[in-house]
Amino acid sequence: MAEHTEGMRDITFRINRFNPQVDNKPYFDDYTIPVEKGITVLRALNYIKEHVDATVSFRAFCQAGICGSCGMRINGISKLACTTQVWDELERCKVENVVKVEPLRNMPLIKDLIVDMDPMVDKMKTYSNWVESIMPEEKMGEKEFLIAEEEFQEYDKATDCILCASCMSECSILRANKAYVGPAILLKSHRMNVDSRDGAHNVRITELVKDHGVWDCTHCYRCQETCVKNIPIMDSIHGVREDALLTRGVKDSSGAKHAEAFMEDIAKKGKLIEATLPIRTNGVGWTLKNLLPMAFKMILKRRTPPPPPLVKPSKNIKKFREEFQEMTAHVKRDQKDHINKSGE
Amino acid sequence: MKRYAYYLSCINESMTKEVDKSIDLWQKDLDIDFVKLHESTCCGGSNLDYVSPKHFALVNGRNIALAEKLGLDLVTSCNTCLLTIRSAKKVLDESPELREEVNGILKKEGLEYKGTSEVRHLLWVLNEDVGLDTIREKVKVPLTNYSIATFYGCHILRPSTILGKENPLDPTSLDDLVEALGGKTISYEHKNKCCGFHTLLVAEEESLSVASEALGEAIESKADFIVTPCPLCHTVLDGYQTKALKQANIKKSIPVFHLSEMVGLALGYTPRQLGIKRHMVT
Repeated sequence: MAEHTEGMRDITFRINRFNPQVDNKPYFDDYTIPVEKGITVLRALNYIKEHVDATVSFRAFCQAGICGSCGMRINGISKLACTTQVWDELERCKVENVVKVEPLRNMPLIKDLIVDMDPMVDKMKTYSNWVESIMPEEKMGEKEFLIAEEEFQEYDKATDCILCASCMSECSILRANKAYVGPAILLKSHRMNVDSRDGAHNVRITELVKDHGVWDCTHCYRCQETCVKNIPIMDSIHGVREDALLTRGVKDSSGAKHAEAFMEDIAKKGKLIEATLPIRTNGVGWTLKNLLPMAFKMILKRRTPPPPPLVKPSKNIKKFREEFQEMTAHVKRDQKDHINKSGE
Repeated sequence: MKRYAYYLSCINESMTKEVDKSIDLWQKDLDIDFVKLHESTCCGGSNLDYVSPKHFALVNGRNIALAEKLGLDLVTSCNTCLLTIRSAKKVLDESPELREEVNGILKKEGLEYKGTSEVRHLLWVLNEDVGLDTIREKVKVPLTNYSIATFYGCHILRPSTILGKENPLDPTSLDDLVEALGGKTISYEHKNKCCGFHTLLVAEEESLSVASEALGEAIESKADFIVTPCPLCHTVLDGYQTKALKQANIKKSIPVFHLSEMVGLALGYTPRQLGIKRHMVT
């Protein structure tokens, strides 16, 4: 029977258990303990480990939301145990007063609530997630880098990342394919790419536009919504894409072609020309192989998008085209200004 | 009668024509009037913003300015159009310089982006303006016998900094509407998750895996059908369903309705009138 005095309750923690040496698959153990209002999930886990079952395993260190060690899924959402109040979780419990605690997703499980972070670290190596200094080693220490406030603003938020991997755990595409780069790596990659001290932009971008890279993000925004530091991760993902398309002209990928088709179609008709989008993205061969079987049924259901000549342009398209072209002139002027400025 | 400027989404003009067809049927029944913006253009479908941020601001500043000229809020029935146009609105509202640049171009067409019109989803209009009580009164054929899996789609929930209408972890607006129409909703984890649409042409296998997880859970939960407020989610969950379920080795199937069709059914229109026969899964 749960105790209900004000500020104190008996709460059950339903904890994922798995010891690869004895268990075939993970299971849950319930631990019911008295919890005071104001207690975090991490302190509750510590209590269980100290007073109830010493074998419960989890990773934790700073207890202050700084080190990123205690990322886990609490009532189904990836977050830090040390900054999550048990009391706040009570209204989110599927079973009254039962807080479910599970390991992060999308990474190999080692034991109970501990996952293997190595795949994430390996990806940080693959995508050169560090500043490769443009200053020759022999010159280091002689001269400092001066960073403009404007530049710092571009990566200020990204430097808040504590690598807790909550975003990786929530990522829709990483769940579908573990080879996908993942949001934390894209965030860091962009942070390095916009740093003027760094000289590895081109190496990084070349890697990022390959298969399982930046173009595989499906824009679900779950990474951003779950970020424990409220970092707008999608801004960085879009930043990498913008960088690949505009600044460095890495356009030879289906993702880049797909994105640019939108620009072309809007400029032409003000509408997306959906019928040829698969061909423009992936070529004729891919389209025939992947979409032809569906196309027959779609024709029967009159569900196929109209062929390009039949896509009716938006009303007043002439005026719109003039406006669109005028903005193109503005963008070209901006790019010229930017080149002149950086050449000074 | 409440009036709104209705934004024409590319997909509803081509592949999912049944969405606007359904709305045309019942809008007067709910005392609303959607004025179609034939001059509006594609929002950029969550791509134009990084292909060219300035064109993105121009195109969507113009889309909103068309509604502002009529003195009406802009309403869309596509989640991605909603997020995209709201993102542009945020950028324009926060940057006087960009607003001035965009307006410098738009004035040739007699348009000006002022920031006075809201950008809203059809679902929000039904819940907030028409109201669930009114909808309840107008129902002719309650969806009493159906268990319905609500599938919100990402871009009506996340990022909450731009959408912010309800808790993305536990949305209720679509469930509330289903209940007002007399239906029962099932509880399942994927209701606020992703359909995989935006990578269908770039990473098809991954997209279909994302879709099949949602479809699989809805089937498992014994729902009679899925309902979604987004034609892009519908395109994956219905159009690509056979392919997705085959990839995941799931033998069953489940019909997927648009929000506008579900409202139409409850208001007494026939599946034929609503264009439901155009679905790939029937």
